[in-house]
Amino acid sequence: METRGRDDLDLLERIRRGDTGGAAELFERYAPALLRFTDRMLSDRASAEEVTQEVFVKVISRAHQYDGRAGVASWLFAIAANACRDRRRRDRRATIVPLEAVAEPRARGEGIESSIASRQRRQAVRQALSELSEEQREALVLARYHGMPYAEIAETLGISVGAVKTRIFRAVETLKAHFSEGESWTAAT
Amino acid sequence: MDCRDVKTIALDRLAGEADEAARRELSAHLASCETCRREMARLEDLWTVLGTDADAEITPEFRERSLALIEEETLRRRIREFQPRPRARGFVRPLLQAAAMLAAAGIGYLVARGLPSASGPVPAPGTRAAIATPSAGVAPTLNPASAVPDLAASPRFSNVSYRPADPDGRVGIEFDVTTRQTVVGRPEEPEVARLIAYLVSRNAETAGEKSRAIALVSEHYGAGTTPASPEIVAALSATLRKDSNPGVRKKAADALATFPITPEIRAVFLEALAGDKNPGVRLVAVDALAASAKLSPDAVTIESLREKAVDPQENGFVRAKAASALKAISF
Repeated sequence: METRGRDDLDLLERIRRGDTGGAAELFERYAPALLRFTDRMLSDRASAEEVTQEVFVKVISRAHQYDGRAGVASWLFAIAANACRDRRRRDRRATIVPLEAVAEPRARGEGIESSIASRQRRQAVRQALSELSEEQREALVLARYHGMPYAEIAETLGISVGAVKTRIFRAVETLKAHFSEGESWTAAT
Repeated sequence: MDCRDVKTIALDRLAGEADEAARRELSAHLASCETCRREMARLEDLWTVLGTDADAEITPEFRERSLALIEEETLRRRIREFQPRPRARGFVRPLLQAAAMLAAAGIGYLVARGLPSASGPVPAPGTRAAIATPSAGVAPTLNPASAVPDLAASPRFSNVSYRPADPDGRVGIEFDVTTRQTVVGRPEEPEVARLIAYLVSRNAETAGEKSRAIALVSEHYGAGTTPASPEIVAALSATLRKDSNPGVRKKAADALATFPITPEIRAVFLEALAGDKNPGVRLVAVDALAASAKLSPDAVTIESLREKAVDPQENGFVRAKAASALKAISF
């Protein structure tokens, strides 16, 4: 972890010097996780891609502002979380593209039935996640899908560890209620 | 452990945050509490269901687009940080523009005064360009120094047409004044150059006429051919600055771009880059300025390209071209 942290700092230093290779390497390292995060926060693939790109554009212009207080990964997720909030605020005034309108590529070797089932599952989960407040969703997504420790989530979101636990707790309560109202959540699996 | 604590500790366990002691305590409580066991099972189910949501994957297209964007942004950042040599912003450029305009005006004045009149001395035959007037189907050859009408009087030539260079490299320019005349001469001959400059800057009234005159310039003057005379440079510069037709301005810019860069040409391209409404013209200006800066990087040119490369209002192609032009310049 420490080696990776040092590597991340080296990459930021290269980005500060205007080395395009440094930014590209940081992209390869963090873009998959950031895209997963932005995709779950925005529930729209195109917006998620744009916001992920926006994160790297911001990193390039703000690399000199990184003060090392948070880890590079936390810093990147913090930028992504802010960018998602901005995007959602902006999109509230725009037409929202429903999730089902966004075609998801079928996984290689996946049958049609299996594809439909996985799409339904995805829709069920995304629908449930969309009922969470932005703050709850951020904390839950980072914990559940990114395996981020509470302390790192707190660092990323700029809140206390206690607040992280509260948000996750409330998120889970909301999700339980959501699934209890309709069919059993096991039906989604 | 109290039943009220179970949910919190259960979530900690699912999130990988519960330490060994908390996990042991939780297990002990669950073993003895049916209600909490059910609650734990529900939480585990929920956690599992959330995990069935497939991750978004990076597609090759997204990666390619993103890496291109990253390269462009890194480059822009580098450009933003570029500090040109200190210069007094705000008045140097207007001074340069004023100097360029004065130079153009001076050249125009000299051209007007220095143009030979029809009654001027006749140079030695066989060595100069000639004017041919058709007579019974045969065009007689006349010396342009004596036969070109007095251009200072702004004669109107109509039906202007051009003949390709003959084996001696002499081009032909035909026009009607009072009669049909043909000037034949080598492009480097001052009279021919002045006549062409006149046709570009003052005689041509339509976009087509101007374009044909500029095409003649492009064909016979420029790097590797005949150096353009100051009159031709001034004529093209005036066309690039003032012509209302963007196609004509673009042709003038294309022609000027083939000439070795001079302060006057650089000034006119800087003006075009800053103010021409047509992005095609601005693209030519970027190319010309970049080529000049590659040979001799000067702060004004680099700063102008830099401004364009980061100007969010600028056309995307112009911005990208300015950025890649700067990339190729060592500064």
